[in-house]
Amino acid sequence: MRRPGSRWGRGLLAAVIIALSVFALSCEKKAPEGKTVLTFVTWKPNQPEVWDEILAAFSRENPDIDLRREVGPHSSTAFHDLLTQKLKNKSTDADVFLMDVIWPPEFAAAGWAMKLDDRLGEGERERYLKGPLLADTYQGSLYGLPLFVDGGMLYYRKDLLEKYGFEPPATWQELVEQARTIVRGEAGEDEGALYGYSGQFKQYEGLVCNMMEFIMSNRGTLFHRDTRKSGIDEPPALEAVRFVRKEIIGGVAPRGVLTYQEPESLDLFIQGKAVFHRNWPYAWEIANNPERSLVAGKVGVTKLPHFPGGKSFSTLGGWQVGISSYTEHPEAAWRFARYLSSPRVQRLLAVRAGLAPTRKALYDDPDVLGANPQFERMKGVFLAAYPRPRTPLYPAVSHVMQRYFSRAVSDPGVDIAKEAERAAAEINDIVSLSP
Amino acid sequence: MTLGASARDKLFVAALLTPCLLFVVVFAYYPIAYSFYLSLHKIVLSLPALGQPFVGLENYRTLLRDGVALRSLTNTALFAFFSVGLEILFGLLIALVIHRRFKGRGIVRAAVLVPWAIPTVVTSQMWRFIFNDKYGLLNFALHGADVGSYTAWLADPGFAFGAIVVADVWKASAFAGLLILAGLQGIPEELYEAARIDGANAWQRFRRVTLPLLKPAILVALLFRTMDAFRVFDLVFVMTQGGPADATNVLQFYGYKKIFAEGLMGYGSTISVLVFVVTFAVAMMYIRVVGTRLFGREA
Repeated sequence: MRRPGSRWGRGLLAAVIIALSVFALSCEKKAPEGKTVLTFVTWKPNQPEVWDEILAAFSRENPDIDLRREVGPHSSTAFHDLLTQKLKNKSTDADVFLMDVIWPPEFAAAGWAMKLDDRLGEGERERYLKGPLLADTYQGSLYGLPLFVDGGMLYYRKDLLEKYGFEPPATWQELVEQARTIVRGEAGEDEGALYGYSGQFKQYEGLVCNMMEFIMSNRGTLFHRDTRKSGIDEPPALEAVRFVRKEIIGGVAPRGVLTYQEPESLDLFIQGKAVFHRNWPYAWEIANNPERSLVAGKVGVTKLPHFPGGKSFSTLGGWQVGISSYTEHPEAAWRFARYLSSPRVQRLLAVRAGLAPTRKALYDDPDVLGANPQFERMKGVFLAAYPRPRTPLYPAVSHVMQRYFSRAVSDPGVDIAKEAERAAAEINDIVSLSP
Repeated sequence: MTLGASARDKLFVAALLTPCLLFVVVFAYYPIAYSFYLSLHKIVLSLPALGQPFVGLENYRTLLRDGVALRSLTNTALFAFFSVGLEILFGLLIALVIHRRFKGRGIVRAAVLVPWAIPTVVTSQMWRFIFNDKYGLLNFALHGADVGSYTAWLADPGFAFGAIVVADVWKASAFAGLLILAGLQGIPEELYEAARIDGANAWQRFRRVTLPLLKPAILVALLFRTMDAFRVFDLVFVMTQGGPADATNVLQFYGYKKIFAEGLMGYGSTISVLVFVVTFAVAMMYIRVVGTRLFGREA
């Protein structure tokens, strides 16, 4: 330390530190004179250019607002972690954000999302699909504006069904029979070249979505809203789960579906190795894209089947726009949120990004249908789509169900009724924590 | 103000050490203590109305009754037992091979270390592809184009558990080998010469000279690998997400889900504390029991 060099070194270090702090300070956001700074927290979009256009148009028309965008991870789970960290810390720089369809009750109960009851009138609510609006409602109040909707649907091989003279199946039993006939007829000696069905049965959120469709289409339910008790241990639900274990897993679907999420199950279908496939609307574009799909042009899409006496049911997915309770600019935030959920933006998202609108009127819009002819048929699916159990403790409830369903359908030795009873009790315990 | 040279040196040393100590306290001791503090409270992120009441040991009592937690503790212990056992075995073999002098040894040494150098997330992804039921390398190697006999490895609880063990062994054996190699290189050549003169054959030289003198190195490898195995997370996260039917659910992953997905800060912290305690106990056990017996006899 007595060498002049080291003194130099320390001087340099100090200078660097000072320079860095000055730099950091100057990066502190400073609103241009008279402008309101509004931060929009979003995931990394699949079609960034469409979002650039949407945000640019808003900035042009609202010169008094300085709109900033913070882009988070693409995955819903990772995005949830980022967003809830901010909200937990009452951060003021997340004025408007996107919410997955299962989050509004959690955000509402935690006091993170702003109540929008006084802002969105009755007439305006009429214009939205029922399911997404219900998902945004918690204890009678509205906490988000629907942006776009997702729902499970049945993709099928038009060419194969025609070849064997089948109509798309109305019941699950029909689906199984058609799949068996076609697989037997097509396979010849090449066993395993074609399967009947592909869906998502890995132990994760998608498993809950898939199983919910089987259960609700058998007049069962995951959760009773009135009594706030789980319904997975009741006969219709047990019957549906037994059907999946016996007829689907290792039956018409390969056992590998127990490891599949959306991409793997879609792969099987677009490689021409499955007759039927359950997925969300985004799969339509990929399945019909000749560069990615071996079955482009041979794909049909329709409502998911149901059990005799039941009704077709589709798990509701999709995204919502929420406003933070901690925003310092509620008026500007509302203006922006409303803009995002407007017919104009929804039309753009539908035409340019293939995202299904939440506004009923757009399903009769020639531009929207021109770009997405499949929406015509999907409309019925979206109208019937229904949200998953709405509780602020949904993540915990979902984990119990993921465990139960995974055990029930993967292990033929498991006593389904007993497991269901245990899982239902666990869910009831969790739900009873919240008011 | 004037200070003596030695006082100034001491001050300088203290100034240099303080940031380091602060760093350890802030990033190591504080989180551990804070986790313990959280584990004594009931905290549900999505229900702020509950407050954050102090509940004493309630979370720990819940943990004892939580079948899923006990199952994942068993899974973690089995995982540690099998993967560490195999890693030490393969590590020993690797070390013996690359200790010999042969042409191209440098390349072999580097090649052996490659699995260790690749981030675990990447290796996990790779093994997930290898075990894939439709285009996985393993199925192709076993059955060729006979698609009908392909097995969905990760869909079977037993195989899925085996798969994460295999992936871990593949990755970490080289590390165990490296530690053991260091021990091998510390054994003086003269001992082997003396043994040879006394007429000991290769096996006897290995049993009587190599193995006893390698014990400290093996112990270190065992200690490192067991502690790592008890904290396994990324393999499970990427390859199986704890499924199917919870067959690969391990403690760290379970705790992660409780804290970050379910927002149960208190209960999730209890699980983290359990992982810490178990790892710590394992380390103490190795050092105390095996260590003192080993070094005690030698001293």
